[in-house]
Amino acid sequence: MSKTATLSSAAPKPSFWRRWRFHLSGLLLILPIIYVPKYFETLALSRGLMGLGQRPAGDVQVGPWKLQFAEWRVEPPKSDPAGMVKTFTMAQCAGCENEIRAVYVRVGKPRSLRAAGSIFFGSPHRAFATVPIPPRTAPDAELWVTAEGWDGSVHQAAWPIATASPATVAWLKNQGAN
Amino acid sequence: MNATFAKSARAALLGALLTASAGVLAHNPMAECKPAADKEQIQCTGGFSDGSGAAGVTMDVISYDEQILVPGKLDKDSKLTFKRPDGEFYVLFDAGPGHVVEIDHVDIQ
Repeated sequence: MSKTATLSSAAPKPSFWRRWRFHLSGLLLILPIIYVPKYFETLALSRGLMGLGQRPAGDVQVGPWKLQFAEWRVEPPKSDPAGMVKTFTMAQCAGCENEIRAVYVRVGKPRSLRAAGSIFFGSPHRAFATVPIPPRTAPDAELWVTAEGWDGSVHQAAWPIATASPATVAWLKNQGAN
Repeated sequence: MNATFAKSARAALLGALLTASAGVLAHNPMAECKPAADKEQIQCTGGFSDGSGAAGVTMDVISYDEQILVPGKLDKDSKLTFKRPDGEFYVLFDAGPGHVVEIDHVDIQ
């Protein structure tokens, strides 16, 4: 007699199911515990306890202003209906918040202020920008940061993708290989 | 309270829990351009990544020397059709500062 047949004769189907349902309930209670560390990490990141983002990406001097950048999450660009996008965070230098009107970022040098790229939104202490990363971008390409002052002045600075996000460079190299 | 009601309430709660999500609805601008059927014309479509259209939003066709060749607004279907200009140009979907999409003429084929 096979093992299965022995089991089914020893335990009729309803009681067998009931017993396993009990164990499954226990499993369902345990499963969320696995995600607890990730949950608290996300919470800490959102509350700013981990700094600007998961990985500090250094300071960029844009004209008279020093802007501090971070990679929000250390990961390759994410798929979005608008294409592959990557999120960065930025904090303005102390005292600069009254001088800076807007900060933009994009891949490659902007043709004009109108086409300066994605705008950083949020507080001067932590603003977010989601940048489309064209899959054909060269891994050694640069992000360009454009800062516009309330006095009408416009300043630009290049920020290598390799400095901004090594994860994005790795993804771009992989794209090129494909 | 009857058992049927309790059962259906439980099923509804389970359904609600399974379908609930904390997804973030991004609002990134998006645009695409492709040659129209007769190849002489180009049709561009604008919109946002949350699925909303962009009727009335500015979409300009600009030459590499920053001359606006076609000052356009998207129609009620969020589309703009124009004759392919001679020379090098790009299409700029402009939904406000920092909400732009640039499409180079070499990418329209």
